[in-house]
Amino acid sequence: MHLELRKIESVSILELSGRFDAYEVGPVVEWINQNMEAFTTRLVINLSGVKFVDSTALATLVQGMKRCRQQQGDLHLCCLQQPVRIIFELTRLDRAIDIFATEREAVETFGD
Amino acid sequence: MLNLKIALITTYPPGNGSLNEYGYHFVRFLRQKTGVAEITLLTDDLPEGQSYPTEETPGLVPLQIIPCWKFESWHNPWRILKVIRHLKPDVVLFNIQFASFGSKKIPASLGLLVPMLAKVSGYPTIVLLHNIMETIDLKNAGFNSNPLMEKLTRLFGTIFTRLLLTTDWVALTIPKYVEIVEKKYHTHNVLLAPHGSFEDSPALSLEAELAQPLQIMAFGKFGTYKKVEQLIEAFRLLQSENRPPLELVIAGTNSPNAPGYLEGLQQKCSEEKNIRFTGYVPEEAVARIFGEAAVVVFPYTSTTGSSGVLHQAGEYGKAVVLPRIGDLAEIISEEGYTGEFFEPGDPSALAEAIAKVLDNPERRREIGTQNYIAARGLPIAEVVDWYLLHFQALLELRDQSANGAALPQPSGQPSGQPSGQPSGQPRVSGITILDFGLGILDCMVAIALNLKSKIKKSKIG
Repeated sequence: MHLELRKIESVSILELSGRFDAYEVGPVVEWINQNMEAFTTRLVINLSGVKFVDSTALATLVQGMKRCRQQQGDLHLCCLQQPVRIIFELTRLDRAIDIFATEREAVETFGD
Repeated sequence: MLNLKIALITTYPPGNGSLNEYGYHFVRFLRQKTGVAEITLLTDDLPEGQSYPTEETPGLVPLQIIPCWKFESWHNPWRILKVIRHLKPDVVLFNIQFASFGSKKIPASLGLLVPMLAKVSGYPTIVLLHNIMETIDLKNAGFNSNPLMEKLTRLFGTIFTRLLLTTDWVALTIPKYVEIVEKKYHTHNVLLAPHGSFEDSPALSLEAELAQPLQIMAFGKFGTYKKVEQLIEAFRLLQSENRPPLELVIAGTNSPNAPGYLEGLQQKCSEEKNIRFTGYVPEEAVARIFGEAAVVVFPYTSTTGSSGVLHQAGEYGKAVVLPRIGDLAEIISEEGYTGEFFEPGDPSALAEAIAKVLDNPERRREIGTQNYIAARGLPIAEVVDWYLLHFQALLELRDQSANGAALPQPSGQPSGQPSGQPSGQPRVSGITILDFGLGILDCMVAIALNLKSKIKKSKIG
C-alpha cells in the first residue's frame, strides 16, 4: 500500500495505491491515527490506484469518516475503480460516505 | 448527532435460541456507541427460574430487556407488535434466521411476518437475516425429508423472503447471498453487512497453551444439521491409531429443534472417558474452551449461513476442519478464512482431515494465523457502526420525505429510498399487497412446473 499526501488549501488529499485489505490496511490506520484530528478534518481519499478493498478497508474508511465528522469535518472519496465501487454498492456504504467521480469535485464540495 | 431509540428483536443469553451469541455481542458493542440513547431487546421467554440480566453499567447505553415471544408460539406477531407500538422506537432491527421463531411451519411463518408488520406500522425496519432459503439444504438441515414438502417449504421460503424484503433493508452477511437475493427478487433493498468477529482484539492462542492431551473440539447447538455421530466415529478411528491420547470436546447444547439429542449420545458414549460433553458454555468460558482446543471441527451436514463458530475459531487463531458441502469453501474464503476440508458422510475422511492438522503443528499454525487475521479484520464493533449509518440514512430520508423534499437519487441506484418509498410510510396498499401477490404467483408457477414435470414423468413411465 502506497500513500501520498497533498494539500489544496484546507483540504488534505490522501492518494492510495495498491491493495487495500486486512493485510495492507496498517499504514492507512496509522496515518489516520497520527494525522486526522491534529492535521486535518477535511479529507479526500483518492482511490484511483486501488483495485481491491475488503471489509477491513471499508471499516477503516468509515472510522476515518466518523472521526472527521466528529470534528465538524468530513471524508470524501473519489476516483473509485469499478471493483471498488461494487463493494461500496454491495454494502450500501455508498449512501453513507460521499463519493465523487473526480478529485476536483471531491475537493470543491467542501466549499470554504 | 443521533439520539436513537432502538428496538432489537433477538435471542439473548441466557436464552439458548439460535443467534443468541450474535445478539449478545452485537448489543455489547451497540451499548458503547455514541448516538444511541436507548436499546430495548425484545427477546424470547425464558424457562421458569431463569431471568435476563438487569444490572446497568455506568457509561453504557441503557438496556431494557422485554421477553415477549416464544419459540413455536402462534402469538408472537401480536405480542411483539404490541411491545413495539408501546415503545415507539426510532428504528427496529431484527436479528433472525428462517427458523428463529419456530421449527414448525406456522409459528416460523407467523414470526417472519413481524418485520413486515413493524414496517407497515410506520417504523424504519432493518432485518439482519443470517441465512437465505435459496442456499439451505433443507433435507440435510433436518427440516424436510419428503421432496414434495421440501418444495412446498421452498415456495413458502420464497414468499416470506419477499415479505421480508418489504422492510427498509434486509442485511445479509455474505456477498454471494446479496447477489442471489438481488437477482432472484429483482430488489435493491438488500445490503451486505458482514458477520464480524465477536472480540475487538483477541489474543492469539499459543501452542504452549493447548490442553494436553490435544483436544478436538466442536462447538454449537447440535442435532439438526450439526451432528456429532460421525465426529465421534472419526475420533474413535484416530484413537485406534498409534498416536498420543486425544480428547474430544463437544461444547454446547441441543438445537431448539432437536431436544434430547446430546443426552442420547452422551449416554451411548458414557464408557468413553476421553469424550466430554460440556453442556451450555457460559460466555465467560468461551475463551477457555476455544483457547485449549488444538483443532475446531465443524460436523455439519448442511450450511445455513455465515458461521459464528468459524468467526470465534478465527478470533482464537484456531485451525478448523470443515465439510466440503455446497459452497462453504467459497463462502469462507470470501471472508478470508481457510481450513482443512473433508467429504461429509465418511468418518475416515474426517479422521484423516483432523490428523492432517493435529500431526502437523506448522499447518495448524498456518491455518490458525490466516483465520486470526480474517477474524481480526472486521470486528463486530465496526459492523455495528455500519448499521448506525444505515439507521441514520433511513431517518434522514424519512425526515426529508416528511418535509416534502425530493428523495435523493444516487447514480446507478433505483432510488434514494431502498424500496422506492419514503421510510416510515405504511405501504399496505402498495408494495405489501403486491409482494403478497408476487409471492403467491411464485407459488403457483412452481406448483404448475412441478405438476408439469410429474405429468411428463408419468407419461414417460
